[in-house]
Amino acid sequence: MRSNLRSLVGLLAVMALVAAACGGSTSPSPSGPGGTGSIAPSEGTGEVVEIRWYCCLGGGGVPGQIEVEDAVVEAFNASHPNIKIVREVVAYQAARDQLSTEIGGGNSPDIVGPVGVGGSEAFHGEWLDLTDLIAANNYDLTQYAEGTVDFYNVGGEGQIGLPFAVYPTILFYQKEMFAEAGLNEPPHAYGDQYEMPDGTMVDWDYDTIDELAKLLTVDANGNNATDAAFDPDNVEQYGFEPYRDDIRGLGANFGAGSVVAADGSTFQVPEPWDAAWRWYYRSMWDDHTVMPGALFDSTDYNPEGYPFCTSRVAMEVNYLWSTYCLGGAGETWDVAAVPAYNGTTTSPLNADTFRILKDSKHPDEAFEVLAYLLGDASADLLQAYGGSPARPDQLDAFFEGLDTEYPFGVDWQVAKDSLAYADNPNWEGFMPAYNETLDRLNIFGEKLRVEAGLDLDAEIDTLGSDIQAIWDRQ
Amino acid sequence: MAAIPATLPRRRGPRLGSGPLARREALWGYFFLSPWILGFLAFVLVPMVVTLIFTFTNVNLSQEEPLAFVGLENWQRLLTDSATWRSLLVTLKFAAIQLPVMMIVPFAIALLLNSPHLRASGLFRVLFFLPYVVPFVAGVFVWEAMLNSETGWVNAVLQAVGVERPPNWLNDTGWIYPGLVIMGIWGIGGGIIVNLAGLKSIPSELYDAARVDGAGWWSQLRHVTIPLMSPVIFFILILGIVEVLQYFLVPLVLKNGNGEPGGATLFYNLYLYKTFYTFQNMSYGSTLAWLLFLITLAVTFVVFRLSRRWVYYAGER
Repeated sequence: MRSNLRSLVGLLAVMALVAAACGGSTSPSPSGPGGTGSIAPSEGTGEVVEIRWYCCLGGGGVPGQIEVEDAVVEAFNASHPNIKIVREVVAYQAARDQLSTEIGGGNSPDIVGPVGVGGSEAFHGEWLDLTDLIAANNYDLTQYAEGTVDFYNVGGEGQIGLPFAVYPTILFYQKEMFAEAGLNEPPHAYGDQYEMPDGTMVDWDYDTIDELAKLLTVDANGNNATDAAFDPDNVEQYGFEPYRDDIRGLGANFGAGSVVAADGSTFQVPEPWDAAWRWYYRSMWDDHTVMPGALFDSTDYNPEGYPFCTSRVAMEVNYLWSTYCLGGAGETWDVAAVPAYNGTTTSPLNADTFRILKDSKHPDEAFEVLAYLLGDASADLLQAYGGSPARPDQLDAFFEGLDTEYPFGVDWQVAKDSLAYADNPNWEGFMPAYNETLDRLNIFGEKLRVEAGLDLDAEIDTLGSDIQAIWDRQ
Repeated sequence: MAAIPATLPRRRGPRLGSGPLARREALWGYFFLSPWILGFLAFVLVPMVVTLIFTFTNVNLSQEEPLAFVGLENWQRLLTDSATWRSLLVTLKFAAIQLPVMMIVPFAIALLLNSPHLRASGLFRVLFFLPYVVPFVAGVFVWEAMLNSETGWVNAVLQAVGVERPPNWLNDTGWIYPGLVIMGIWGIGGGIIVNLAGLKSIPSELYDAARVDGAGWWSQLRHVTIPLMSPVIFFILILGIVEVLQYFLVPLVLKNGNGEPGGATLFYNLYLYKTFYTFQNMSYGSTLAWLLFLITLAVTFVVFRLSRRWVYYAGER
């Protein structure tokens, strides 16, 4: 009798173990509420459809933005009893790999965003063509600025996105640092020249930036980079900070281009990008006007990631979205026109939106959420992301919001004017074997920023042959 | 006296374990093993077979081309892919430094903790084990800050004691491996505990006998401690080999998986991970995974065979 009872208890324990092993969600997300996938509602049952919103292939992952996104989700869920948005927030560094595993595991989220051109290209072929949904919902495309809708109409893939936010590149500068160095402030209007301390008028270009950066780079003893006593190992303030997140984006500041030649399969380095990379390397390791990699990575020296946000640099070219961290930059900064190279001004553009994955199990409901994010929720989201609205009717309110956040007279007209100098082709555009090519480019970029004494001719040649080998394998 | 038959008649009777009771017991045994068996089939064996099939196809994430059988194309690529062999070499180079350190240091600390002269040994055990429970990624970030060549306190201390040009731990190909090994020492708490348990299981009579024979500390270590600890050392060696072959989380977190400086942190497992999830090439990633499996199998087989010469199991000899 006892033996039978023990056997029965053992049997029940085994069944419980088997049930536990075979049940549960198939693919947990690393943070956020995660999801078990959307639930297909049966007709007339009123079941709630879950729409998974995956963040953050682009922005959207910093604390101030997450709260705004949560509020946006809460408002939607409260007003839509049949649809529930469930968020997955994954840190930018891991977001691409995590999304790959979810798609590969058959557990795709529904909506991804905010995501830029680069993030979208990393998942080329995965996005839903919205053409039918736009027609079925009578979605008004005339609300967007002319040409912006076509930006997301990609040959062979259809209308895979709708305009949301654009981020021009602008020059951020510290007025006090310029004043301390006895320098005039940079020009705000495109086409204006710059007045040097001796009164001469010069073009506002990277040659001028070179000179100014040396005067604005100051060591712990107060010597600038033109002084004989300047100590490059004890710099307190750097003169210039380029955009260095992506070596292509760095290059695009000198001029638009692509590493893909016209035939679509040959690697090339556009002349402006070659010049930009060499300028960046020389400024960092020879002139010491740009922060070297180890200091840039140091959370003691550069806690915010972007040095301008902790007043470590006098000038920085960066996108409008970098306003998210400018609280630490003080109240004496302003924005100016980006410098030109060889007579051409380029303000590289980032463009974010939200996209629906083609494997979404509930495209109709996902489109309803998408329309909400691009519509009613867009004002709050754009403010949080620092994105200039793609809808002309929202522009004034957006910049008024920035004025409220930074009430010391920043000249936001510069940002509006910068849109006219967007890079075309966009630097994040198509490359064969996109992810593998980008990985190789990132290795090159990393090498430039941490290793002094490189033979740049040899490094660029090696870069070219490695990438060509990757492309030849496709 | 009857002659003893040249051969004894064979006794016929039931074999051990062949009766109904034994069969029922065996069935219950299999039944209780079934959760593990089912789990092994579902989460280990079937995925292994599926990835083996993948190696002969063109599976990738977007699958823009139709799924097709490609024969040995992925295996042929393996032979000519310099990145694969470079990453294997990186792993070997790192293993040559990491393995000895990860075996000797915990053993040495366990010896110290086992010393009868040490006071408050419990406190020291806790202190040495504490870093082991620090969340992994947090630990890497902490060490990244400590080893920063410009602002890290390790170099600040080195400069304070007179080292004019302290190492660029994280960005110099010559110093990155020592830097990674230093980070790894942070996690030796588990190894210390295992060694300590092994040391405490050695009968003290053996040390008494050795002392009577005039053996000093070094002789006792060579002729008593190490032979009797050899099974533990062997266990740690096997785990260390598997761990170093799977090493990738630290370079992934520390360097965002870019393999820098100079490709020195592009470990094999990291390259495998990137092939799968960053480059989204599932078929080639599966091929790399199978190569890793075969290498691990071969290495552990060799180590097990060699262990007969130096691992002493008290019950066997």
